[in-house]
Amino acid sequence: MNDMTIIFKRELKQYFYSPIAYVFSVIFIVLNASLYMFHFFFFGNADMRAFFSTLPLVLGLVFIPAISMRLWSEDYKLGTVELLLTLPMKTEDIVLGKYLAGMVFYLVGLAGTLIIPIVLEVLGSPDWGPIVGGYLGAVMLGGFFMAIGIFISGFFSDQIVSLIITSLTCGFLVLVGWQYVPMVIDGWIPGLGSFLYNFVGVTRHFNDIERGVIDIKNIVYFVSYSAMFLYLNAKSLERRKY
Amino acid sequence: MIELKNVCKNYGVTRALADVSFSVEKGEIVGFVGPNGAGKSTTMKIITTYTAPSSGTCSVGGHDVMEDPLAVRQMIGYLPETVPLYYDMLVHEYLEFIGQARHLNGSFKKRYDWVVEATGLGPVLRRKIGVLSKGYKQRTCLAQALIHDPEVLILDEPTSGLDPLQIIGIRNLIRDLAHEKTIILSTHILPEVSSVADRILVVNNGSLVADGSFDKLIQQVTERSSVYVAVKAAKKDFQSAVKSIKGVEDIEFDDNTPRGTVGGHIFYASGKDILPDLNQVIREQNWDVVDFSQERLSLEESFIRLTRSSGQEGGAA
Repeated sequence: MNDMTIIFKRELKQYFYSPIAYVFSVIFIVLNASLYMFHFFFFGNADMRAFFSTLPLVLGLVFIPAISMRLWSEDYKLGTVELLLTLPMKTEDIVLGKYLAGMVFYLVGLAGTLIIPIVLEVLGSPDWGPIVGGYLGAVMLGGFFMAIGIFISGFFSDQIVSLIITSLTCGFLVLVGWQYVPMVIDGWIPGLGSFLYNFVGVTRHFNDIERGVIDIKNIVYFVSYSAMFLYLNAKSLERRKY
Repeated sequence: MIELKNVCKNYGVTRALADVSFSVEKGEIVGFVGPNGAGKSTTMKIITTYTAPSSGTCSVGGHDVMEDPLAVRQMIGYLPETVPLYYDMLVHEYLEFIGQARHLNGSFKKRYDWVVEATGLGPVLRRKIGVLSKGYKQRTCLAQALIHDPEVLILDEPTSGLDPLQIIGIRNLIRDLAHEKTIILSTHILPEVSSVADRILVVNNGSLVADGSFDKLIQQVTERSSVYVAVKAAKKDFQSAVKSIKGVEDIEFDDNTPRGTVGGHIFYASGKDILPDLNQVIREQNWDVVDFSQERLSLEESFIRLTRSSGQEGGAA
């Protein structure tokens, strides 16, 4: 077993020890499904557009921060960070192991929502392109938020502080990617809103994938930003030595 | 084996270590003594690569802690002061995790059995770490430091939270390991250091104030030693007879002796041995001895003197 796998296995187990993660998973599934069902019964369409339009906000504000908050903060509190960082392992391997454990836990939660497309298939004949695209986008977006979350968790020994700051950061990234938020900002300071929309907002890239237009540019966007935050996380932990 | 050269460490504006240099040979047991906040833990964190020195160099087994941290970590077993444990894991799961993380693979089973035996964890292997008593937590963490049979052991207060019987157990364990391993341990409990360590390093205010064996340290802080003698004799006779002994500097009489006996603290320069002569005098005079005791500074007292005097120097500078 390589170092990353060893850390990954331990961290994943840790999620299943504590009840907080279960609680958030249930909230995530119930919140998303009920928001969607309201729309579903009202319009009667066999698609998941309503689901994927609220997903970025739910992920960014609640679910991902709740998963990522403990990744380093818990180790700071228990003192185990001193144990981990004196093991004969590269910091990058530890970061990656923790990150993947968070991702797997997130994907388990996301898999809980797969009941919706199954219901749609039974009741009607949905267009599978946008649904597959939507789930691919959700994986990408979740990966990006998780990287931000683990990076922020590396600075705080209090899980709640990590949760709130990650939530604010991801929420901001989602909101400036919604067309009308940058429009309002443009009204105050011309140019700032569209700058944020084009270069910071994350929703635009998600929507592209979700529409079923799988453009390599958007995938590169998510993967490279996630990689950057993971790298910064490893560097910030080594930097802490000084 | 371990070598620190001019190591300084600043936390912001606070200076935690100021120009600390020492080296530890292979197989040596070094006790690290000093008041809280003296820099013991900081020094240990630098040796284990957890923190970096602000200036100066530190190497373990020839590997620099900054340039080759992985090689250093491979050699070291570290028991931090904070006792890092995952409270939700079972004891055996925790040790298995450490075994994997230390790449033990084939030799794990053997080492695991040895470490469980040595630290007495047998009865709690299937318990959650969070519910263990402080002593068992401490021992679980000690097992973690020993499991990969490291060449160098860094133990930050290894016996805190243990009961006297367990302390003796850990002390014996450390003594058993002594010949093959290089050990640095820090503690507040001074008799513990004197009974285990070959050499004592005293740190205060971030610098090294004394380095040497226990006896050497005692000599360093006391210019003169004393012996307390009480005999059945007249005060005048006693005074003149004792004064005649070569090396005796002063006598301080004890006023609380019973009628007919005389007692006093006899002071002499450290390093001189007046006891044979004193014994001779007592025999010649045919005195009945009521009390005869060598007065040694306890380690606690010498510790206080060492740290106090260095504090004054620091203040004056």
